[in-house]
Amino acid sequence: MFRKKLMPLFFVLLLILSGCAGFKTGDSKSADSGDKVVIDFWSFWGSEIRRPVIDKIVADFNESQDKIEVKHTFVPWGDIWTKELAAIAAKNPPDVVINDINATALRGQKNQAMNLSRFLEKDDISDRFYEELWNATLYEGDSYGIPFNTDTRILFYNKTAFKEAGLDPEKPPATWEELWEYAEKLDVKNGDTYDRIGFYPLWGVNSDVWMLNSDGKNFFDEDGVPIIDTEANRETLEWVMDWHEKYGANTINSYKSQIDSQQGNPFFNGKLAMYVNTPTFYTQIRDYAPDLDFGVAMLPEREPGSGNTSWGGGFVAEIPQGSKHPEEAWEFIKHLTDVEAQEYWAVKNFDNVANIKAAENAAKNSEMPDKDKVVYQMAIDNMENTLLTPVPVHAPDFMNLVNPELDSILLGKKSIEQGLKDAQQSLEKLIEKSK
Amino acid sequence: MRKKLNYKRMEGLQGYVFILPWIVGFIAFTAGPLIFSFAASFTNYNITSQMDFIGFKNYENLFTADNLFWTSLYNTLYYVLFSIPLTTAGAIFLSALLNQDVPGIRFFRTIYYLPAVLSGVGVYLLWMQLLDPGTGLVNTALGWFGIPGPNWLFDPDWTKPALIFMKMWSVGGGMLLYLASMQGVSKSLYEAAKIDGASSWQQFRFITIPMITPVIFFDIVTSLIGGFQIFQEAYVMSNGEGGPVNSMLFYNLYMWKKAFESFDMGYAMAMSWILFIIVFLITIINLKLAPRWVHYEGEER
Repeated sequence: MFRKKLMPLFFVLLLILSGCAGFKTGDSKSADSGDKVVIDFWSFWGSEIRRPVIDKIVADFNESQDKIEVKHTFVPWGDIWTKELAAIAAKNPPDVVINDINATALRGQKNQAMNLSRFLEKDDISDRFYEELWNATLYEGDSYGIPFNTDTRILFYNKTAFKEAGLDPEKPPATWEELWEYAEKLDVKNGDTYDRIGFYPLWGVNSDVWMLNSDGKNFFDEDGVPIIDTEANRETLEWVMDWHEKYGANTINSYKSQIDSQQGNPFFNGKLAMYVNTPTFYTQIRDYAPDLDFGVAMLPEREPGSGNTSWGGGFVAEIPQGSKHPEEAWEFIKHLTDVEAQEYWAVKNFDNVANIKAAENAAKNSEMPDKDKVVYQMAIDNMENTLLTPVPVHAPDFMNLVNPELDSILLGKKSIEQGLKDAQQSLEKLIEKSK
Repeated sequence: MRKKLNYKRMEGLQGYVFILPWIVGFIAFTAGPLIFSFAASFTNYNITSQMDFIGFKNYENLFTADNLFWTSLYNTLYYVLFSIPLTTAGAIFLSALLNQDVPGIRFFRTIYYLPAVLSGVGVYLLWMQLLDPGTGLVNTALGWFGIPGPNWLFDPDWTKPALIFMKMWSVGGGMLLYLASMQGVSKSLYEAAKIDGASSWQQFRFITIPMITPVIFFDIVTSLIGGFQIFQEAYVMSNGEGGPVNSMLFYNLYMWKKAFESFDMGYAMAMSWILFIIVFLITIINLKLAPRWVHYEGEER
């Protein structure tokens, strides 16, 4: 009896619930406030630090005019681009999405992102940005995304440790040779273990950054021909292997796990004297080791004159193909990448921004403490040395083939010559197959 | 007569009405995409800009020109081959232990079942810490016995064993099924065996095991299918990269990378059909072999 009565109730409940879900999604899409055009903006900035900053930038834009209303949707990092792709395929994409700068050309080629040339013809904003960033957004000469933020790799070093080792704390290492000499002096050995390690190149970055640093050349030349099996790369890996032998796998692994744990990074307590990372690593020093006396420098050169080349990435704001309000989206992107918004982002998040003027303003901004300014200025200065590595449109997944070879070399399973030769061959094969 | 027919029809109709949500769901969300993916596996489909028929080129490239395809297939087979027998045996062993009548058994059952409740990314992150070569609990514990632990997730020879090891931790899920089925075995069988002087091992081997073969069969079939689809573990624990020397590049991870990193959707669809055929064949073989070793109660042999 009882059950008989309950069953229909249960179904009614189910219907109501499913109705609710349908209503909700339908509602959020078609919300239209008056005569304003509502555009949907997707970002992965949901953290308690970043979210208020981007929300403020959006609110400023909404208040600055009365034609467009931007709705910011936070989509988690792991989902955002697959969801965007699905939304493009369903012909109902958001209007502005933050996406990876290094694959912008690929998305242009695949027709996922909108060609922005028609907007740029009217108002060319390309000179707002660092040239290297702008070039990364181009596919066959047209831009498919507008640079938002970026990063680079710099050397952090512990000044107290420098003094203890009898080194000049205002004179960071300038070449790979000096880096080695300094590290020797900074090392403090205690039996089989180390109380302090001078430097190890593969904490913070991978060997590809050092290969880039060695000769300023990516794994592909201008024509998309793979150039990984080179003299410079061989020498770089030999140099990396020297470091590897110097400290041994056990020490390296145990330090690595401390670095991965973030708070326990040995750079904070002086157990690691020099460390390469992005300028934003400074915010961790600020949080976890506020009293640390440190300096920042550009990456050393392989040899005098070879250049302090560093590596960077970043994100662009793009309009997905099929957006219903591209004109309005473009207006918002202009606001997003203009000096005011970019400077606000830079100061509040301590993040490198793509807009040159905004970056320079931020380094002088009165809200930024002096210590922050030093690091930020270095980040700006280092942009000159920073190269991006946009994925080649014919072999976007080439690192799948390169990484295992580099792993094998570092693990001693393959010689440097053999590993680079194999990597070169498989890249050539990949390019050939996809053409 | 007429009334009876109507009643039957009514009943049939009601049946369909009740399973309607499933039918609609199946046609819209399973069968449709299935047919689409089969058709698109013969094209260079990339979702947004192209879908040209290219015949068997995807399949041809997979078998002849793609080393990573073979790597990923090898990794997946390795994982299935070791993890399925180990987790099945582990679950049976554990449930045999938890089937004893000792005080506090409910407590132990709960404890061993807990890992099965905690699943997903949180567990993988936890294990990444446990398996840390320098500071992880696993190597620390091994160190107490003077065993120098391997580098687990950093050593290509140990990444897959590490994953299998992690899977062993959560055998509790299968254990529950076995435990239920073991409790269903009639006590009289054991009593009769005892009178005949059978040892506990003999009782286990000749009464318990045969009586739970239907559950073993079910477990093996489903975990084989699940094993071939391993993705999350590798995706999370290698940061989506596939681990050192591609040792954690499992089939589905490689497929995902092709689909969503290179946008080579047609290629990925071809891959998914090859996996489908492999799993399909293995399941057929399983079903064919089943009558040889699976006993159903009251069935003649």
